[in-house]
Amino acid sequence: MRISEILRLVMLNLSQNKFKVILTSVGIIVGSATIMMVLAIGTGGKLEVAEQFKNLNAGAIDISYESNATEFGSGGRDGGGGMPNMGGGFGGGGGFPSGGGMPDMGNGMPDMGGMNDDRMNQEKIVLSTEDMEDLAVFVPNIADTTISYTTTTEVEGGDLDSASSYTIAGVKSNYMSISNLELAMGEFLSDENDENKEKYCVLGYSIAKEIFGSVYEAYESVIYIDSRPYVVRGVLSEMGSVASGISPDTTIFIPYETGIKYITGEDVSPTITVIAEDVDEVDIVKENIESVLADSYANAEFTITDAGSKMEAASKSNETLQILLVAMAVIVFCVGGIGIMNVLFVSVKERTNEIGILKALGCSQKDILMEFLMEACFMSFIGAVLGVMLALGITPIVESFSVRVELSISGGLLSLAFGVITGTIFGFYPAYKASTLIPVVALNQE
Amino acid sequence: MSIIEIKHVNKGYMLGDEKVPVLKDINFSVEKGEFVAILGPSGSGKTTLMNIIGCMDLLDSGEYYLNGRAIHETTEKDMTQVRNKEIGFIFQNYQLISTYNVMQNIIMPLLMRGMGHKEAEEKCQEIVKLLSIDHRLEHRPNELSGGQKQRVSIARALASEPAILLADEPTGALDTVSGQEVLKLFGKLNEMGNTIVMITHDLKVAQAAKRIVKIVDGRLSDYDGTYN
Repeated sequence: MRISEILRLVMLNLSQNKFKVILTSVGIIVGSATIMMVLAIGTGGKLEVAEQFKNLNAGAIDISYESNATEFGSGGRDGGGGMPNMGGGFGGGGGFPSGGGMPDMGNGMPDMGGMNDDRMNQEKIVLSTEDMEDLAVFVPNIADTTISYTTTTEVEGGDLDSASSYTIAGVKSNYMSISNLELAMGEFLSDENDENKEKYCVLGYSIAKEIFGSVYEAYESVIYIDSRPYVVRGVLSEMGSVASGISPDTTIFIPYETGIKYITGEDVSPTITVIAEDVDEVDIVKENIESVLADSYANAEFTITDAGSKMEAASKSNETLQILLVAMAVIVFCVGGIGIMNVLFVSVKERTNEIGILKALGCSQKDILMEFLMEACFMSFIGAVLGVMLALGITPIVESFSVRVELSISGGLLSLAFGVITGTIFGFYPAYKASTLIPVVALNQE
Repeated sequence: MSIIEIKHVNKGYMLGDEKVPVLKDINFSVEKGEFVAILGPSGSGKTTLMNIIGCMDLLDSGEYYLNGRAIHETTEKDMTQVRNKEIGFIFQNYQLISTYNVMQNIIMPLLMRGMGHKEAEEKCQEIVKLLSIDHRLEHRPNELSGGQKQRVSIARALASEPAILLADEPTGALDTVSGQEVLKLFGKLNEMGNTIVMITHDLKVAQAAKRIVKIVDGRLSDYDGTYN
């Protein structure tokens, strides 16, 4: 029998059983929609991670210190600084060590050689510019170092009707290059600003718009931080959301020393950021950092996190989620496939007499197998198309829950393919059973 | 030349552990152009004989030649082809596919041969006119009368230009008038050169054939004028 004629018969049969086709396809509809959404959410997650880490320096290592003393690091003031995506040491969120709760960091607290006793971290240590310089001198294979901290204080000026709390970051002049920040207008803070403790600031993009309405208006304007006037030296480009730590868009950057003099005093918990020359040497550099710091602070444990581990952890977390979703989709497909198989078995039973007639008239086993298999294939194709449409339909709803969904043509095609393949595989056995019916027996079946 | 030649055919079915013989040493032949009725009461084995003649069942022993081909030596796959090319089935309950219209039902044997549906429909035009169903081609079987359904069944059997028309109780589901019409049609088709083998339990129906053979308790014999 010609394939075109079998197709014609298949279409004829399906068109006369539209409702049954839709009901049979429900499993495939759900399965295809799930696969498409899984791929879209997975891709969205990957892009989200990539965007959050886009201004991350892969060789960056953050060093911060958390004292066990209760009065320290618990007020949200004087939090750590660090790379924008690296977490902010402690204090930014209430004195928690940097790392942002990412799983499998594989670093974090280093083994300090048997010093993990009650005496650890009892003294109050403030990482300083001198510590940073020590690391720059004694730790080999370092490209750059910087030190920073964040705090929260009242800001006035611009279009603000009253004083509002904003995140202030005290940073060195090299912070911008280390953090891959870009300027929309003006200049970043200079070494002179820092050394002379000058009252200059650089605004994040969102803050500039919030306080002054536009980047242009903000540039060279004056804002009052803790009631002291600061000249806006520059405005950063929009950097988007970041994984944790300093969010450049919503932060006001001031010279490191200026902040200590006028805002925080010595009650601050800075983060030193070290950039390894080679990403592959990050682990060695971390070990050397531990050694150098151990010389200076014998009874202290420092939190040392590297950006690569964070990226890896975030990616792994995302991959795990995707695997979970794919597993869910596979289960849905299996259920859908079994549904198709059941309905086709019922269909074979219902049409046993018809199969008997076809066999009596000389229809070959192959043609009957092909006809039933094509029916399964078409039913699952219809289901898969409806599934893709369903996925398109529910995308806005999923997005309304702040889940990033990145639909793609390849995702759609893949879910179509999965739907059709599943239906066809599960449809094979009923089709085979139909094709092997004995004509005399089938013909006499009512 | 014999279209059908059956020699010493035996056939039985398993009933539990025991084999029950249904056909016993059947010897039977049909010449080309003959119209033969196989007459037998219920349980006599006539349906089993029909299934064997129609290549839908295998015989246990003996020889069966259809149009010169040794059916007893062929495989199931080959028997499918034989059914399609050599035999035109006409069933008691028509056996039309309910989801297909009249024309789709009629052309099915031709489609199975690999013919396209347009070519097949053209080929069947004369047959549907001959059987006066040309005005019902788009109708479904459930929209036809019993007589019309049987004519569609006959048209389907004729469409493939088979060596024999094999009719199983062709009037069994019809009223008297429709039954008579079908039998007249068989006569006409036979006059046109078609070989017809008709199986029936009804002597009056069998008498429409030119030759009658009788089957009782699985044994075939020439009709001797007696039938209960």
